[in-house]
Amino acid sequence: MLRKIWEHRADYAYVLPAIAVMLVVIAYPIYYTIELSFFNTPPGLQLRDKTFIGFNNYTAILTSAVFWKVTWNTLIWTVGSTVISFVLGFAAALALHRDFFGRGVLRAILIIPWVISAVAASYIWKWIYHSDFGIIGAVLVGLGLADRPPNFIDSVSTVLPSLIVVNIWREFPFAMIMMMAGLQTVPEQLLRAAKVDGANAWQRFWHVTFPHLSNVSTVTILLLAVANFNSFIIPWIMTGGGPSNASHIWITHIYELAFGRQRWGVASAYSVLLFIILMTLGYFYVRALSGNDRKDGGA
Amino acid sequence: MSTIAETPPRGQAPRRMRIDGWRWGGRIFLVFMLLYTALPMAWMLITSIKSGFAAMQFPPQWWPDQPTLASYQKLLDPQNSVGQDFLRFFWNSLFVSTATTVLSVIVAVPAAYAFSRFTFPGRNFLFFTVLLRNMFPAVIFLVPLFILMRAIGLVNTHGSLVLTYLTFGLPLAIWLLKGFYDNIPVQLEQAARIDGATRFQAFILIVMPLSTPGIIATAIYSFIGAWNEYIYAYTFLSKNEQLTLPVGIQRFFSENTTDFPGLMAASFMMSVPVVVLFLVLQRYFVRALTEGAVKH
Repeated sequence: MLRKIWEHRADYAYVLPAIAVMLVVIAYPIYYTIELSFFNTPPGLQLRDKTFIGFNNYTAILTSAVFWKVTWNTLIWTVGSTVISFVLGFAAALALHRDFFGRGVLRAILIIPWVISAVAASYIWKWIYHSDFGIIGAVLVGLGLADRPPNFIDSVSTVLPSLIVVNIWREFPFAMIMMMAGLQTVPEQLLRAAKVDGANAWQRFWHVTFPHLSNVSTVTILLLAVANFNSFIIPWIMTGGGPSNASHIWITHIYELAFGRQRWGVASAYSVLLFIILMTLGYFYVRALSGNDRKDGGA
Repeated sequence: MSTIAETPPRGQAPRRMRIDGWRWGGRIFLVFMLLYTALPMAWMLITSIKSGFAAMQFPPQWWPDQPTLASYQKLLDPQNSVGQDFLRFFWNSLFVSTATTVLSVIVAVPAAYAFSRFTFPGRNFLFFTVLLRNMFPAVIFLVPLFILMRAIGLVNTHGSLVLTYLTFGLPLAIWLLKGFYDNIPVQLEQAARIDGATRFQAFILIVMPLSTPGIIATAIYSFIGAWNEYIYAYTFLSKNEQLTLPVGIQRFFSENTTDFPGLMAASFMMSVPVVVLFLVLQRYFVRALTEGAVKH
């Protein structure tokens, strides 16, 4: 083993810079977060005064009502955003697959929301949802569907769906790009053969196109799920987690615990729990990716 | 899906009618998606050319009675304090994003090449470690990184952002580039080596030129990621003169909550560089993103 490593010593030189940067900025933070999660920390960053309290931070989290509220929000946010973004993106990719006049322009326009900053997107939608001068409210009132403009993001019941709409606006293009690329790899001969055999459009999609895209779909859904689970900017800028925690998701909640209330220990314990959840997701992510590689190697 | 189905004569066999139905459904869906995508952006632009008073109307003015570029003039005027700030934020963003991009490419190219070509012990493990970084949210790293940056004296410097964005962007950069290298035939290098080139020469003379599209794509990707990044900049920087655009705009407008035309104009200006970059180089950009996930 050692000899093998020595033989390949030149190869490591290529990856060394990348690994070195990663170690400093990743390994150390992870270690430090795990350590802090077992300590009671004073406010401020005078972390030398921390005291060891074992699993108390963890039990405090798991028994708090806010934790379950935030977890439920995160679940709705992640699943809702991921599923709808994927379905819309996939459908758009299918609709854009065949060439027609203006396809390139249309595709470019559809991708733009994904390119612009989430901060800009948050402000645009905050203005659209504005409870006095927002355009959606005005349209609803104009059509006689509402007496007065609804409070989309100031009301507990509508805030989360309203934010999900913004998130999907930014994310479906990603799914669309991935699936468009995937569609190009579906062999035209197979589709033609299926057609000759009498398969209709839906059957061709369901039995030929879709199975062929299972790898791309898995990777896309996982990437979307991870991105959504980790989102921060949209809820943070648009509502700051409010009203009454209705739009707090894990990340915004952790951020507030750490940098708002300076409860570093509790925030770290949250991060460790998050870490465990993500490792589980990561396992599937890596499996999906390496599945892809294997297929490639065989081809 | 095939070409035969594209121009069915109207009103023929029911099966063709149904295909036509799918097609119309697709068109209606695309119109819906176009509205969903474009209307918010259009509303941003329309609001940005209103006066502050005109923006605060109910019902809203669909098109401003007196369109004005006042918000843009204010943001771009170096004499004005708002303009001064905005231009500085803009410059800061440009500097941080460019530095990140250059460094990312320098570090990612050899790493991606090694992961694509060499089989050394621990290769898969290292590669997946690199990828796993992508899974974790910024928040996990914020507190320790903040402490680390403070310890090495980088808090309130752009260096802290460049270093963080570098690691933030590297996994993806490596993954994207590896996809490109995987698709360059090894035989080309082997031929060069038979002709007497060293492995390094083969890499520089054969592989680098062929992977230019991949490098461009990776660079755009790093740039856009750095340009739009918010959470680290929000945490690491507190001095006004160092803020990048996303944080600067947020700071500014949490003090001026009613200046929506100004806010929309600023959002628009912040989006222009990345959107232009994307539109000009979209081919590379789209290819990069999908190269790793979809093999040709």
